[in-house]
Amino acid sequence: MIERKERKPYWRHTKWQMLASLLPFLAVIVVLPLYADTLNANRFLGFPLGYFLSLHGIVFIAVITVATFVNRQDAIDHWHGAHEDL
Amino acid sequence: MTLAQRTRLVNPRLGTYFGIFMSAFAALALLSLIFEGLGAPGAALRWLMFAGPLILYAVIGVAAFTRDPIDYFAAGRRVPAFYSGLVLSQTAMGATGLLALAGAFFVIGFDALCLVIGGLAGFVVMAVMLAPFLRKFGAFTIASYLGRRFDSRILRIFAATLLAVPVLLMLAAELRMGAFAASWLVPLSPLVITAVLVAVLVVSLGAGGMRSLTWSATAQSLASLIALLVPVTIVAVLVTGLPLPQLSSGPVLRLLGRAEAAQGLPLILPPALAFDMPGEGLSPIAKRYSDALGSVGPAAFVLMMLSTMAGIAGSPWLLPRVATTPGVYEARKSLGWATFLFGIAMLTLAAGAIFMRDYVMDIVKAPGPTNIPEWFNQLTALQVAAIDTEGQHLGVTSFSLRRDAVLMILAIAGGLPSAVLHVAAAGAVAAALAAAGAATVALGNLLAEDVVYGLSWEPAPAGMRVAIARTALVAAAVLGGVIAHSAPTDPLRLMLWSLALTGSTAFPILVLSVWWKRINAFGATAGLVVGFSVAVLAILGREAGWIELDSALAGALGIPAGLLATIAVTLLTPPPSRHALELVRELRVAGGEVLYDREVRLQHRRGRHLD
Repeated sequence: MIERKERKPYWRHTKWQMLASLLPFLAVIVVLPLYADTLNANRFLGFPLGYFLSLHGIVFIAVITVATFVNRQDAIDHWHGAHEDL
Repeated sequence: MTLAQRTRLVNPRLGTYFGIFMSAFAALALLSLIFEGLGAPGAALRWLMFAGPLILYAVIGVAAFTRDPIDYFAAGRRVPAFYSGLVLSQTAMGATGLLALAGAFFVIGFDALCLVIGGLAGFVVMAVMLAPFLRKFGAFTIASYLGRRFDSRILRIFAATLLAVPVLLMLAAELRMGAFAASWLVPLSPLVITAVLVAVLVVSLGAGGMRSLTWSATAQSLASLIALLVPVTIVAVLVTGLPLPQLSSGPVLRLLGRAEAAQGLPLILPPALAFDMPGEGLSPIAKRYSDALGSVGPAAFVLMMLSTMAGIAGSPWLLPRVATTPGVYEARKSLGWATFLFGIAMLTLAAGAIFMRDYVMDIVKAPGPTNIPEWFNQLTALQVAAIDTEGQHLGVTSFSLRRDAVLMILAIAGGLPSAVLHVAAAGAVAAALAAAGAATVALGNLLAEDVVYGLSWEPAPAGMRVAIARTALVAAAVLGGVIAHSAPTDPLRLMLWSLALTGSTAFPILVLSVWWKRINAFGATAGLVVGFSVAVLAILGREAGWIELDSALAGALGIPAGLLATIAVTLLTPPPSRHALELVRELRVAGGEVLYDREVRLQHRRGRHLD
């Protein structure tokens, strides 16, 4: 069980982790498709680059984002003693 | 040690069970392939592929019968992360996603990405901002969560009634799409097929609610993944020689791009808010495949993406699944699986659309007079394709395909045995059942838990509680069937409205209820009502012709309105009580007791003291 005085640092840590996970991801998905046409001039594996990055790239980034989030947030839980003791 | 304890409750034979299901499903498909080769009548084989899987799902659902509320509402909180993630990803996709998005990729190429990226981002946002906290809270419906979190019965009832609307739209969309997919297998009228699907939902889900839904939807999700992967992979092997369509479609796309340029497909510069999704019915190719933002304007693309993201992240038919995982860590992990599997599905859909375009392009690319291939005549006879012979000569835009049939057409165009076509159709029916089932259970639980018992914090005695939930579930399924039959609207449109409404109604207050301590019941109620009303007005306003904004983009008005209303009303009213503050502080910590269970227990004890 988490100690009362650990709650604040735990939540600060969690908040920063949330921002670190979401902001880069959201920036990429909003900005990348808008520049896809420019990137399409190049090719990768036969795909136009803009299309490749907007589809395969974003899937890759999403999976990495969630995977690192799960890993990091679990570490934060353990660091502050906030993990589940089932 | 921790690992062993975490997985303590999980049934160790799950893998075996679903291995058996997969073998049975594969055996059905292979038997159908063998009998087809031996010259058995096609109708019998199609009935086999239609009824066989439905019986399997119903058996799984009935076998998960339960009388225990925790089993009925949360599948006993022992669904491992992978299974949860699998079901989440395929439920979010559903038959509407599977069939209509394949068609959308075929018609408008790149621009269909706004929907799938939105769905993917929805899972990321759900994983980071909502899922762990909702799991910690452990409520069975979104309305119960909001009611308990803000200690407000009014909010609970409002949330249940308003959220029932998008859930119902989603249910109707999936049933309509399921009926369309099933019409490839059996020659029944849409009304009869819808009735059969509703009956399957009632039989399989009525037995065990969320428990039945979890395990039958796991089987359905496996079937729908197979339905997508098998035809596209076989076509990829035929066209490129590699069984990896997601990557090997690249060189095909390169040649396709050249052919499209040679055909003179237009480069479109749309207005910023243009949103030109293909409708239900026949559509020709609208623009070059990889050309970005031709049918959907740049602003509409971003708004649609963010609105879909909010809709998926806050959807009342996906979020209750989080409560079925064994713990907060598993809840986060299940969203990781959901993101991964949703990503695989979207890559495969896009690859399938590329191959389909390639087949159509092959018709017109050959020099000399255009020969219409046999498969295209077959499609014209089925009324899922048409040739426009008005012009001087046949170009690629003279060929129209029915949007929702593209995945099945791909199997026909590739010259695959009809067993593959039937697997694709059976998988789409499965996807429809998985998504419609999630919507039915969510709607039934909203009605039973938050409307019928909304005014009392104390849940009914276990037997009564489950009985009422079963009745509400049957009512929800029938209601969905009636709406699906009586409102002939494009399922993709219904899904987009449903996501716009959920995004506007639930998403802002769900996020703020975790991440903003100051939020109070007044603010949350205001945000809920304002977000919903603005989104509904935007949809109706567009349909009546008052505003220009496409009705699918209603979330672009509803979400900010809900957010602003929540913040403004919260700041104008007194801060939340100490009890609410203590609750949110505990909600934010991963470890410790499930809050909902504790609240109910304390309620119970208090109630007994009063007696």
